[in-house]
Amino acid sequence: MPQVPLNLYLELSAVLFIIGVIGFLLRRNPITMLMAIELMWNAGNLAFIAFARNFIDMSGQVFAFLVITVAAAEAAIALAIVVMVFRRRENADVDDISVMRG
Amino acid sequence: MADFFLGAVPLILLFPLVGAATIALFGPYVQRSASAFIGCLSIGLSFLLTVGTSFVIFPLSPAQQTLYTHSKFVGYWAHLPPDLIIGFRLLIDPLSLLWMLIITGVGLLIHVYSVSYMASDKNYRTFFAYMNLFVFTMLLLVMADNFLWLLVGWGGVGLASYLLIGFYYDRPVAVLAARKALIMNVIGDVGIMLAMFLMYAHVGSVSYQNVFGHVATIGTSALTWIGVWLLLGAVAKSAQLPLQTWLPDAMEGPTPVSALIHAATMVTAGVYLIARAHPIYDNAPAAAELVAVVGGVTALFAATIGCVQYDIKRVLAYSTMSQIGYMMLAVGAGAFAAGAFHFMTHAFFKALLFMSAGIVIHALGGEQDIRKMGGLATRLPFAYWTFLVGAVAIAGIFPFAGFFSKDAIIDAVLKLHHPYLFVFTVVAAGLTAFYMFRLVFLTFLTGAYRGDHEVHAETERTMTVPVAILAVLSLIGGWIVLPHHDELSFLLRSTFADAPFPQSMADFNGWLSFGVLLIALAGIAFAWVAYQWRPQIAAALHRSLGGVHALLTNAYYFDTIYHWLFEWPVLALAQWLRDAFEVDAVDALPALALRAGAYFGSLSNRWETGYLRRYGLTFVVGAALLLFIYLFVAHGATAGAAP
Repeated sequence: MPQVPLNLYLELSAVLFIIGVIGFLLRRNPITMLMAIELMWNAGNLAFIAFARNFIDMSGQVFAFLVITVAAAEAAIALAIVVMVFRRRENADVDDISVMRG
Repeated sequence: MADFFLGAVPLILLFPLVGAATIALFGPYVQRSASAFIGCLSIGLSFLLTVGTSFVIFPLSPAQQTLYTHSKFVGYWAHLPPDLIIGFRLLIDPLSLLWMLIITGVGLLIHVYSVSYMASDKNYRTFFAYMNLFVFTMLLLVMADNFLWLLVGWGGVGLASYLLIGFYYDRPVAVLAARKALIMNVIGDVGIMLAMFLMYAHVGSVSYQNVFGHVATIGTSALTWIGVWLLLGAVAKSAQLPLQTWLPDAMEGPTPVSALIHAATMVTAGVYLIARAHPIYDNAPAAAELVAVVGGVTALFAATIGCVQYDIKRVLAYSTMSQIGYMMLAVGAGAFAAGAFHFMTHAFFKALLFMSAGIVIHALGGEQDIRKMGGLATRLPFAYWTFLVGAVAIAGIFPFAGFFSKDAIIDAVLKLHHPYLFVFTVVAAGLTAFYMFRLVFLTFLTGAYRGDHEVHAETERTMTVPVAILAVLSLIGGWIVLPHHDELSFLLRSTFADAPFPQSMADFNGWLSFGVLLIALAGIAFAWVAYQWRPQIAAALHRSLGGVHALLTNAYYFDTIYHWLFEWPVLALAQWLRDAFEVDAVDALPALALRAGAYFGSLSNRWETGYLRRYGLTFVVGAALLLFIYLFVAHGATAGAAP
């Protein structure tokens, strides 16, 4: 079976990351934005795992697990915030909740 | 027995310190009476040991006394350059023993007196802790065998005096008086330090033994300066001109404090210092002359002020100042034994006067103005008779103590050729008799009681017994020096062995004593005429001598002069610096920093929009920029630099 070259994994990772960035910048629904952030996390994870596979180095896979746990924690906190915002306001458009500026 | 007392000498010093520490640490956990008991017990034990030591030291021959003088080695003063080794030794010689006997003996009586005098005070325990601390520092002052430890004690008594003058700390006047006393005493401390620097520069040591052993090598001019700086210390501590203004204000402290610190012991430390440093003054006649002049002028100066004051304690304070003037005059003229003698008798009768006055003040609920007294002789007979004994003693009436000691000084001044100062002392003797009996008449006699306080009876045994003992001592204390039989200068002979003038007071000038006695009686008679027999005479004198009266009432305006000369310029400078310098210069710099911070803050503030997606965009653009720099600029630069 021909091995998929590293480049293709990295290109896929980059594409996923850019999609995530664009989603984060263009969408105004906080939940969609969180999903875009997840996409960026996992683009990074994909690159880690590809490198780990390529160089036969398990630390890349370990790091991917770490990223998954951090991402889960981050999502939990962010969703909690979003829920609180929903309770205080009818909609949850991020452009409307700019009251916390310095 | 002798070895026991000589070995126990450090305990004399230690008991009051332990007493003060015990009361301070455990006072709040025990009964009030326990603090008082500890306070009296520690002084009592010190007194017993001092008496025992006296019985060992005084009978020795002068040669043996000098052996014991420097034998009590306790330890070194650490952290000093190796060529300046200052041992902490205790000096037990006749002069320090005399002072120790008075400090612990009169101190014990005053502590016992305080047990009921201070009974109703809320800071009863603190009082006894401070009093014990005072006795400790005062003993340290007289038992030190070098100027450094003397200065430690010197500063310590200043501290204790400050604490006790400001004892009623909820009275602003008392706090101000305490501050004034401390500042003036610190001026004196600086004087002693300057003297010590000179000693170290010339002798390389500040111990009495080394300095006094090398006075011949120092040179007259340096010796004179040492004497002058020591005199500055003595003047500040003993309330002599021109640093006298703190003593009348110090009467804000409780009456036992006035009796112990500001009459019997601390204020005589200056006399002790001059007597102790007599080898310096013997070889620096100009400095000794200055001491005599300061003492003589103060004796007369304070006596005149005492004639017009109305606060019973202030009159006694000016009287103290005047009597210490006599002592300073004596030690300045070279009659050291006479000065020490007057110190001893003065401690008896002035403590007696203060404590009798304290009974009156106590009975009147704190009233000190003699215009609101009068006719108290029948209501407070004990206070009247004891005060009368004190007044007779200080006026110098035969056979009370003051007669002998004051005559010894006046006699010595005449013999040692100070004609002007002799006149001063004689006039001051008359004035002393006058103002003391003015006090007696206005307080205890002259018709009916003028005050509005209820007069409480004098019953407490702890107050009356010490006063009675002092009254007896005021009578018999002078008999230690009788014509042709001078016990005191014999006891002190080893300390003053090298004095240039004979110290014996046995050579009695009968005609002079009789003359001074007549002058004192004239003073009493005038007080009787002006205040008892024909009160209108006193009133007429007030009217016709209004200017003089105002001058004396305001103590020659010394406070006003010092205010405009020293206090006002400093305050004005501070006010000017506050208005001009602080606002424009000191405050401007932080204000500038504040404005700069606010400006840069407002710049970065624009970034802070609160729009999450804009933050994201900033983030992405930044990351892209960094990536671009890393990939093309930085990498390209390294690649270009590489061969």
